[in-house]
Amino acid sequence: MKNKTFYVTLLPFTALFCLLPLVLDDYKLHVVIVSLFYAMMASSWNLIAGYTGQVSFAHAAFAGIGAYTSGILAVKAGVNPWIGIGIGVVAAAVLGLAVGVLCLRMGGIYLSLTTLGFSEILHIIITNEYEFTRGTMGLQVPGLITHYSKSAYLYIFIAATVITLVVIYRLIHSNIGLNFRAVQNDERAASSLGVNVIGVRVLAFTVSSALAGLAGGLYGHYLLLITPEIPSLNQQFLVLSMTVIGGLGSFVGPIVGAFVLEVLSEYIRAYGEYHVLVFGLVALGMARFFPKGLTGLVQQYKTRQTHVMGEA
Amino acid sequence: MFSLALMNGIVIGVIYALSALGVSLVVGIMNVINFAHGELYILAGYFSFIFADALGWNIYVSMAAAVGLVFLFGILIEYSLIRPTYGNDMYSLILTFILSIVLQNAYLLIFGPYPNKPPNWIKGATNVFGQFYYGNQRLAALVAGVIVIAAVFLMLKKTWFGKIIRAASQDREMAELNGVNTKALNMLSFGLGCALAGAAGVILAPVFPVSPTSGVPIALTAFVVVVLGGMGSMWGCVVGGLALGLVENFGAAFISTGYKHIFGFIILILVLAIRPVGLFGRSET
Repeated sequence: MKNKTFYVTLLPFTALFCLLPLVLDDYKLHVVIVSLFYAMMASSWNLIAGYTGQVSFAHAAFAGIGAYTSGILAVKAGVNPWIGIGIGVVAAAVLGLAVGVLCLRMGGIYLSLTTLGFSEILHIIITNEYEFTRGTMGLQVPGLITHYSKSAYLYIFIAATVITLVVIYRLIHSNIGLNFRAVQNDERAASSLGVNVIGVRVLAFTVSSALAGLAGGLYGHYLLLITPEIPSLNQQFLVLSMTVIGGLGSFVGPIVGAFVLEVLSEYIRAYGEYHVLVFGLVALGMARFFPKGLTGLVQQYKTRQTHVMGEA
Repeated sequence: MFSLALMNGIVIGVIYALSALGVSLVVGIMNVINFAHGELYILAGYFSFIFADALGWNIYVSMAAAVGLVFLFGILIEYSLIRPTYGNDMYSLILTFILSIVLQNAYLLIFGPYPNKPPNWIKGATNVFGQFYYGNQRLAALVAGVIVIAAVFLMLKKTWFGKIIRAASQDREMAELNGVNTKALNMLSFGLGCALAGAAGVILAPVFPVSPTSGVPIALTAFVVVVLGGMGSMWGCVVGGLALGLVENFGAAFISTGYKHIFGFIILILVLAIRPVGLFGRSET
């Protein structure tokens, strides 16, 4: 996808989403907003997992940092949520940088273990510091706009998703992005050609954490209640499944995965609390048999079609 | 208070060491981290609960059966999920992480959120060094844990299979050249790693009842122990496990119980910042 094609494709989709309040009721708008949140989360997780090949389990934790930073600032210090979200993004970026510098030189398993530990530390702190976070009760926070309306939030989330996607797109299609893929394909070869392997990983990790902080901050102020469920491993699991089912390492994959799974979960929810188990089994099967996800399947089908046409 | 924290630390430290041994064995040979380690620990606890409580089997028979079943389950996991990912570490991380969530939710569905507890092996309490009364079950768990760890070390040092394991974790290609069937070895050692999680599970379940998510802190601590001791190092597991058990229990006794599990992660971050290869780790080339 060239730069121009990307923007030309993004524009009509954005316009289409902006028209949704005309046709959908509040409940459906809610599903769309949550899907957009997951699309942001999955896309930014894909930046680190899909493009640099490092599996981080702290993505939900960084979303939690964004949410709790701006939530606590708003409740305790009366800071405007918009400014709070900005501070939350910076906080997530700084912590992402710290974790990145700490364990990305070891890479691989070390990063996964440390991020898992990091997210658990955060969980423990949040549930214990009741005075600041209200623990498992959840922190009630003010909204982003004075008059609560689903369509206004939809526009905010569309804007944020577009920003997230543009940032990710620009990054992976810049020279740095070339380095990303070089590092993922062959670390040693890349480093022998003068690519700063660790620098590239740390950069990807920091940007991806900051984007998670943005998504988390907005989500918290949309729900008006920030609970430890936002930075939980279950949430991390959902983001991971969406990316894997949609297609790890593809640009559209995580977005498709986020929408498919979120909409699907609304249907499954009617049959009780099975949806996490069902997702897990689907994600397990996908990761095992179709590691390229839904988008990979579509691509496979397309190339097969052209092959058939070529032969005819 | 001091001696009680010491005793608790030793007991839980031995169990940490035991479950970390399972993780370390698999990392050393296959360079794979099994994120479902804690769920296998829980699975063994549930099996021993079902066999002993619901079916009324002898407790020792149920424990052996539980560990055996978890061993078979581990082999099945290796065969169906891990084997196709050789050469791509990232997918094994993702697959075992998904597996852990799937298992947690399956347990929730089957057993409900309530803690389940297999019967105690022995009753009563013993006065330890005239200081305090300590549950006999905990003492028995300590002894059992030490015996299993000793058996693992004996197996690694004295048997043919142990020799193969050590050879493969030192240099996989060289071992292969010398005729080691690494496919079979992977399968067996993964199963063995799971069985060690299971052994920790059946030993500790009578003391700390199992619930669908109670394996998470155990597994996380086992990972911390593995990093602390140095990936793939067996002695590192024992020293690291004991160290972590003691730190946690002293921390809980003298600083804060709510933050009990955080001390381990602080150690993890310190290790990564100061000596990333761990206490007993070899730095690779």
